[in-house]
Amino acid sequence: MARFRTFVPILLFSFLASARALSGAPPGYLTETLSNGLEVSILADPTMPVVATQVWYHVGSANEEPKTRGFAHLFEHMMFGGTPTHPKRAVWDHHEAYGGDTNAYTSFDETVYVSEIPPQGFDGVPELEADRMVNLSLTEENLANEKRIVTEELRLSTENDPMSRLLTDMLKRVLGEHPYALSPVGTKEDIAAATLEHAREFYGRYYRPRNAHVVVVGPVDPEATLARLRAAFGPLPPDGETPKDVPDLHAWDFPDRLRFEEDLPPAEIATIGFPLPAPSHHDSPAVDLMLEILARSAINPFEDDLVRRRHRAIYAGTDTYGARRGGFIAFFSANLPYRREKTAFRHLEESRAALGRFEWLDEARLSAAKRKLSQTEAWRRYYASSMADAIGRAAWWEGDEERAFDRLERLEAVAVEDVKSVFRRYILDATPVKLYVKPEHVPLYVRLFGWLYPLFGGR
Amino acid sequence: MRTAAVVLALVLALSALPVCALEEWTIDSGTAGLLVEDHRAPLLFVTIDFAAGSWSPWVEEHDAEAAFEIQMHDPNGELRRRADLLAASVWLYVSDRSSTLSLACRKEDAAQALDLVRAILANSDFDRSELKRRRQESKLSWAASLKEPQFVLQRAAVETLFGEDDPRRRRYEEPKLPPADVARLVAARDALVRFPGRVVGFAGDLTLEEASRLADGLLPEAAREAPPDIAPKLGPIAPARSRPREKSIRLPRLTQVYFGYGRDSIGWLDPRFPASLVADHALGGHFNSRLMVALRQEGGDTYGAYVRGFGDVDPGPYGIGSFTKNENAAPMEAKLRDVLASFHTGGIHEAERALAAGNVVGRRAFSRQSPSSILATAMAERRHGLPYGFFDGQSEKAASLSLEEVNAFIREFYDPELFTMLVLQAE
Repeated sequence: MARFRTFVPILLFSFLASARALSGAPPGYLTETLSNGLEVSILADPTMPVVATQVWYHVGSANEEPKTRGFAHLFEHMMFGGTPTHPKRAVWDHHEAYGGDTNAYTSFDETVYVSEIPPQGFDGVPELEADRMVNLSLTEENLANEKRIVTEELRLSTENDPMSRLLTDMLKRVLGEHPYALSPVGTKEDIAAATLEHAREFYGRYYRPRNAHVVVVGPVDPEATLARLRAAFGPLPPDGETPKDVPDLHAWDFPDRLRFEEDLPPAEIATIGFPLPAPSHHDSPAVDLMLEILARSAINPFEDDLVRRRHRAIYAGTDTYGARRGGFIAFFSANLPYRREKTAFRHLEESRAALGRFEWLDEARLSAAKRKLSQTEAWRRYYASSMADAIGRAAWWEGDEERAFDRLERLEAVAVEDVKSVFRRYILDATPVKLYVKPEHVPLYVRLFGWLYPLFGGR
Repeated sequence: MRTAAVVLALVLALSALPVCALEEWTIDSGTAGLLVEDHRAPLLFVTIDFAAGSWSPWVEEHDAEAAFEIQMHDPNGELRRRADLLAASVWLYVSDRSSTLSLACRKEDAAQALDLVRAILANSDFDRSELKRRRQESKLSWAASLKEPQFVLQRAAVETLFGEDDPRRRRYEEPKLPPADVARLVAARDALVRFPGRVVGFAGDLTLEEASRLADGLLPEAAREAPPDIAPKLGPIAPARSRPREKSIRLPRLTQVYFGYGRDSIGWLDPRFPASLVADHALGGHFNSRLMVALRQEGGDTYGAYVRGFGDVDPGPYGIGSFTKNENAAPMEAKLRDVLASFHTGGIHEAERALAAGNVVGRRAFSRQSPSSILATAMAERRHGLPYGFFDGQSEKAASLSLEEVNAFIREFYDPELFTMLVLQAE
């Protein structure tokens, strides 16, 4: 009987640990959940000259608690601090010796460790990653040094460039209490408050097999690579947890209107923004096509109406941003500082209403947008890192890695009416968040005579 | 020994890669064709290089940069609308030594996309309203640049090295506003795109036969010869003894001090160039470089420390860059100076040379990932009058240099007496 009890879990683990090939995936694709909970995915492509290995830890800045604020980004740095068997410089030196690159990034929803290396250098990469997944040397000295480095990074990226200062401030005030409100790089105060005890707790909880996904793409033998990943990561303990989900952006309650001042050139920027659904939402393919047309076309329909047809701004555009729990689309205009805020918003609203006539959308335009997005997908065929990113993102953001391979089919199924429907739902009939940015300094002649400018055709 | 084996393995492995062959043919007396054939994805990339760029006195005198970059804007937006309907991306940009039209599209749309290219190059109805808008935008962009620390630092660097008329200063000077005279702009564009020395590069899912067919009649007939003043006229570089040893620049509201410890770079054709690849890697080319260890890994003074050269076949600015919080400025400057001084006097160790050798050879794999990046390298080589494979060759030369050869270069080039310390700090 005892034998039987042992046998059942072995069978169960063998089942769980057997590699599977997804139906929609290209040949050479293997994916598996190891017995310790780690997800691994391999896409073999002998035509690629570089092997990309990405380790996705499903924890980002949005998952931080008050005592671990800034930790997601801090750990992006700490993870290069070495282990008892691999000294601090080991990961970098290994990549440098082969001409490879290794780095990491932190976003709201994940922290990703990225390796790109010619295939001769791939030996050793899984072992280095497995080692630092559980054996990182977390010392007071390492923590103190990385805190200083990260603080300098913060000064660089959020304090010394006017536009970065503005965007950091906007994020905080627009999103309020939403976990996406804090920039993934953290704040100086958070970094200063980080303790070794909390760092160890954070590492032990989130940097573990059950909260990670290893993706390998490139000129590798898939079966041999799978065996190598099993050997490197398989013995790690089956622990770790995935942080609780953050609220959907689209369901969040945003402020109606916010004003900002910054040391910008003498122009005023008016913006109307709208939250969008998460990438896993069923509207996502139609939203992607809408964004392709509205934000990435040679003719931006919003800019075309506001700037070129009606001459109501010097500059206008459409910005988009996407995260795991939702995205944002923002329509903005820049004017010389003589217009009244109310007038600038009226012009933006008129252009939004003009978009509601759908002159920008017909069968031909939708078909072109589909073909354009198909180019993006085809482009991944060349770049191992881009393909690895698509797989890791599909698995984490959309809950199904197969979505890295069937995106075109889902886009193909979208009709003109679907795009009109999502435009109405998320933009035309939605209440915008209004942002107005004024420059701190306006030249005296603009203050005095700027109002005359529109009389001579100025914007 | 292990490192030598790594380098050898990388050289052999890269040679064995299924590298897409570069094919070249003559389109007409003033135009060459290039093809990188790669059938992995149904995509086509076209890059057309015209023989003069922003450094050309002719381009400056005739406002040809503005003319080249506006030519896709007709008053009704027809050309851009066509691009959207074809799902084609078109970029027009003027760089230092050439003006370039780039196109990316699906293979099935190739013929129509190249018809669009013809229409862009034949457009004589530039959008006046867009010209006017660009003038306003240009003023605002310039004002914004003057608030960016890196731009301000680079601007100071070129001012210490080059005379007022030297085109290498131009991108750091207030841009000339595009004229409103459309006829003048159209004439400038028409002349620019006809100068001999044009290259039409194709990359992606097509054969030589298909590329040749697509290239026929794509461009207007080439002129017999170009005016004498299309070539850049670079001035002399200010000799080290006449350059300031230190220079301070101020910007409001900075919480960091930015350092640029610089001099003139060496050109790609300089026989010392391969040695510079090894030396720069050891000094500031990676996370465990001398600069990163001294300024980041050991003391946490900074987030980044690097070396950067802006030259091409001709020397440009070369700089060691870093930054730190305001109150750490003096110790940081001292460390920066110490790193350079000890690098200069002591040179590098064998382990550093070996790491750099593996790196410069292995890195070549990255530029072979897509047909468009292989084409871009080949076109850059051609644009600068270099033989194809020049950059790969330099990497191999660099990897074969002895420690003594690299250190001899270091003793010569990294002499702190030849460097100027630029410091950008809060007002």
